Amino acid sequence: MRFVFKELNVLRSTITAISTSPGVKEISESAANNLPNLFSYSSFCVFWKEGLALYLYQDESCAAPFTQEVIRNMAGVLKTLGEERVDFEKIVPRVEKRKLGPQPMLMAPRATLKSHLTLPLAVEGEMIGCISVNSDQPNAFDAQHLQFFSVIGCQMAATLEHLRRFSSVKSMATYDVLTGLYNRRYFEERLKFETERCFSYRIPLSLVMVDIDHFKKVNDTFGHPEGDMILREVASLLTKSVRKKDTVARYGGEEFILILPEADIEASSIIAERIRLLVESTLFDVGKAQLNITVSLGISSFPIHQAGSGSDLIKMADQALYDAKRKGRNRVCIFGANPGKN
Amino acid sequence: MRGDKKASLSSDLVVDLYSNLLAEIWGIVSELIGETILALLFTVAIRDMADKHPFLKSMEVSEDGISMHRVREACRRIPPEEVHRGFHGFITQFSNLCSALAQGVISREILPRVFPKVREAERMISQP
Repeated sequence: MRFVFKELNVLRSTITAISTSPGVKEISESAANNLPNLFSYSSFCVFWKEGLALYLYQDESCAAPFTQEVIRNMAGVLKTLGEERVDFEKIVPRVEKRKLGPQPMLMAPRATLKSHLTLPLAVEGEMIGCISVNSDQPNAFDAQHLQFFSVIGCQMAATLEHLRRFSSVKSMATYDVLTGLYNRRYFEERLKFETERCFSYRIPLSLVMVDIDHFKKVNDTFGHPEGDMILREVASLLTKSVRKKDTVARYGGEEFILILPEADIEASSIIAERIRLLVESTLFDVGKAQLNITVSLGISSFPIHQAGSGSDLIKMADQALYDAKRKGRNRVCIFGANPGKN
Repeated sequence: MRGDKKASLSSDLVVDLYSNLLAEIWGIVSELIGETILALLFTVAIRDMADKHPFLKSMEVSEDGISMHRVREACRRIPPEEVHRGFHGFITQFSNLCSALAQGVISREILPRVFPKVREAERMISQP
C-alpha cells in the first residue's frame, strides 16, 4: 500500500509540474523529469502535431539505431491511427541524453526496441500529439505503467490545449484579425509605453496616421471582400516600409497608425513619403481588374509639437491627416506646417 | 413478413450481445487509458471499419461512453450475420489499435472477455 502511495505522490507532483508549464517544450520536460520516478524505461518520446516538434529524452547509453527505431515506431503508430500526413523524414528530433535512474542502464550498442507504450494525446476527439516510453527489454511495461502513463498523457494534452486557447485569446487581444497588424488596443498600450519612455528622456517620438483615399468608393464598386483584400495589401506595404522598432496598427476602418520611436520630423517624413510612393506605385488586384489607390498621411512628433501626452500626439496626427485630405489627398502633411508635402 | 420479423429479432439479440460486450470493454480499457484516449480509439476503429460495415457509423462515441440507440435502429434492416461480422470486425480493429499502442498490455485484459461472446454470437446466428 505504502508503495502505491509513493507512486501516487510522484504522479501528483508530475501533474502539477506539467499543468504549470508555460509551453510545449516545458510540458515535455516536466513529464520527462518526473517519469523515471514512476517506472523504468530507456527512452521517452513526445510528438506535438502543431509545430511538428519531436522531443526525445533518452538514457545516456541509448545508441543511434535504437533512437531511430523509437522514431520509426512512433511514426508507425501514428499511421495506424490514421495520421498518415505526418512526414517524420522532415522532422528534426530534439534528442536529450540523460541519466534515467540511480543505476547506469548500459544498453548494448546494437540493442533493439523490445517493448513500448504509445498513447495519443487527445483533446475533445482530436489528436494533438503522441507520447511513448520505450525499452530494450521485453515486456518492460504492465497495466499499472499504462495507467500512470495515460494520466500523464491526459494532463499533457489538457495543458497544451489550455495554452493553445490562452494564446488564441491573447492573439485576439493583440492583433487585428483582418490585416494581421496590431489592433487599436495594443497600439494604445504600446503608445503609453513609448510616450512614458520618450517623454521622460526627451527622445523624439513620431506618429503617422494613414488613411486610404476614397476607400468607400472601392467598397461600393467592387464589394467588401475586394475592399478587405486591399486593406490587407496596404497593411503589408506599411509593414514593409517601416523599421524594426516601429509599430504598425490598424486604427479602425481604412485608417492605420504608426508609432515611430526615436524618429524626428525629418525621419518620420521620409518614412511617410516612402509609404505614400509605394502605395501610389502599386497595382492592386480587384477581381479581374487592377486598381491604383493612394493614401493620405498626417504626422505629429514629440518634442517639436509640444504634445503633453500620447492622446495629444494622436489628435495632432489626426489634424495633419485632415489637412492632407483637405488639400487634395495623396500627400503627407505635418501637424502645424501649412504647406503639404507631395 | 414473418421472416423479416424473425431476422430483426435475431439482429436485436446480436446487438444486445455486442452492446454488453462493448460496455464491458469500455469499462476495462477506460480504467487503463482513460475515457478521452479511449473515445479517440473507438472513433478511429469505427472510421476504419465503416466502409465495410456502414451501420457502425451509427455508433455514437463520446467521453461518456457508447450509445447504441441508433445502431439498434440501423441493424433492424440488416441480417444478423452481417451485424455479427460488423461488430466482430470492429472489435478486431480496436484490438489491433490497442496492440499497436501497448503491445499486449490492453489486449491481455480484453481478449478473454471477447472470445466467449463472439462464440455466443456465432451460436446465436447459426440457430435455425
